[in-house]
Amino acid sequence: MSEERAKSILTGLTVTFMVLFSLIPFIYMVLVSFNVNPDFLDRGWLFTFAHYKDVLTEESLHFIDYLKNSIVVSAVSAVFTVFIASLCAYALTRLEMKGKAFILFLVLAVSMFPQVSMIAYLFKIMVSLGLINTYPALIMPYIAWTLPLSLWILVSYFAQIPKELDKAAIVDGCNEFQTLFKVVFPVALPGVFSTTLLAFIFAFNEFIFALILTTDYHSRTIPVGIAMFEGLHGQVPWGQIMAASAITMLPILAMTLIFQKHIIGGLTKGAVKG
Amino acid sequence: MKIKLENIQKEYRTIKRNVLVLKDINFEMNEGEFFVLLGPSGCGKSTLLNIIAGLENPTGGRLFFGDKLVASENKRECLTPRERNVAMVFQNYALYPHMTVYENIAFPLRIAKTDENLMDEQVRKSAEILNITRHINSKPSELSGGERQRVAIARAIVRKPAVLLFDEPLSNLDAQLRTATRIELKKLQRELGITTVYVTHDQIEAMTLGDRVAVLKDGYAQQIDTAINLYEKPANKFVAHFIGFPPMNLFRGRVEKEGNAFCVPLKEEKIFVDDFTLQTGKEYWIGIRPSDMELTQGEKGLSGCIDTFELLGKDALLYVSSNGMEFSVLVPKQDFKAGQKIKFKPKSDKIHFFEN
Repeated sequence: MSEERAKSILTGLTVTFMVLFSLIPFIYMVLVSFNVNPDFLDRGWLFTFAHYKDVLTEESLHFIDYLKNSIVVSAVSAVFTVFIASLCAYALTRLEMKGKAFILFLVLAVSMFPQVSMIAYLFKIMVSLGLINTYPALIMPYIAWTLPLSLWILVSYFAQIPKELDKAAIVDGCNEFQTLFKVVFPVALPGVFSTTLLAFIFAFNEFIFALILTTDYHSRTIPVGIAMFEGLHGQVPWGQIMAASAITMLPILAMTLIFQKHIIGGLTKGAVKG
Repeated sequence: MKIKLENIQKEYRTIKRNVLVLKDINFEMNEGEFFVLLGPSGCGKSTLLNIIAGLENPTGGRLFFGDKLVASENKRECLTPRERNVAMVFQNYALYPHMTVYENIAFPLRIAKTDENLMDEQVRKSAEILNITRHINSKPSELSGGERQRVAIARAIVRKPAVLLFDEPLSNLDAQLRTATRIELKKLQRELGITTVYVTHDQIEAMTLGDRVAVLKDGYAQQIDTAINLYEKPANKFVAHFIGFPPMNLFRGRVEKEGNAFCVPLKEEKIFVDDFTLQTGKEYWIGIRPSDMELTQGEKGLSGCIDTFELLGKDALLYVSSNGMEFSVLVPKQDFKAGQKIKFKPKSDKIHFFEN
């Protein structure tokens, strides 16, 4: 067997293994969600849509509320995060100031705090502010939590944009805000999109803050909501949990597919020589 | 627009050290002049251009556009590029990649909130002047380097700036295109009549484009003059060596009086000088252009041996060792051989003397 053939077979095997390894929980999830019996390996396969129907129509499950809460909270915090992070990244990459590296590392250090260490105090703050079980109670910590990562990503994107573009914009009559929003921001759009997506997913998946800071379906998000699913008699409704999880995947999947087109590099092509 | 620079100084302060890039720059540019800033890399020519543009502020001195003060060490007196009405073309084009060619050219007008119809007319006109009308709906990434630079120039001239600034605009183009664009640029500037400041490290560009050229080095303007004067009457050793190809022969020597004439004694032989008004017996840098040498049979020449030579079309550039030095000599092509003994002499009225 030639070396090249061996290489391609090995690559294929590795890729298959990796993909299967990552996908098996999802496949299992989807299989369970379509089956009457959650333990279908023992009790046999019986196809049904009932779980999906329950999840989407049963009011006592509040699944639609959770989904709505999740999307609103994640979207708002993602947009705010990226807005603040891009202003900050622009300042850090473009303006003359001392200690830029120090600021970046300080921000990174802040993001290293374990979430659990803050949650008790955060709960007390939100109680005093009277914000428990509201959207702001989640949105504010999410912004703070996703900001460091977003800032680091955007700084690296902004740093790649040639400074001549800024200079050209300033000579063409832009002030700093116009330079940012008419030139730098559009050129960095792939980076902005991927950062928004990341911040969104981050907030969408978050569990601990959502668990502690919300009390019911008015602001509870999906991860907590699904974890709290309970059958009529206190049993664990596996079928419904899996159906809810499968539906939850869809918004993220859709966003990734839509933005995929924008998350390609090389948009700066043609700006300068290269 | 007349531009006047008065004692312009620029210092960069970093944590490690302070660097004085521009020490004391003084000169004036006339209305409609094509003025070139020439110098080796790192001489501060781009910094000076940025100061004129308003992208950087000087740390000392004053800058006038006409009679109006536009920059000084006092930050509050510095006007923005927009207030100065300057336009700039960059080495790497700096086009906005997310906009079409049309939008790129229209951008300065849009920012200035120009009326839509007027804007359209002006955009189309400058696109036409630069011959890029057929690319008007393309994105910059679809254009070649030369076309991109045309778009950048169109964007610069579209709002009729008071001053046009070029920062090595041709360096990224290939040699042929560079020559062609150079000629067009000169023509364009003459037609528009806009005061133009052009930064380059390429002496050919400087010599061919500039009405006047300022040679910068070590934070000072070494000489400000027309191209031909820079070549024929260099003010100092640096300019003499920097301008002209092949570079000037430079060596140290004293002039002595010999009867009615003057001469420079070398190790074994002498160079004869017709006319000399400086101090005899004092050591000078002596400069002779390779093209100001000629082969001779007579007695008053230097004898030397050809180390190596290069054929440059109709001329030959000889590297000749003579009197313990190496001279480069540019003469009409003959059948030269390495190791050949020749006699040569400088044209006696084309010898330059520079103080240390």
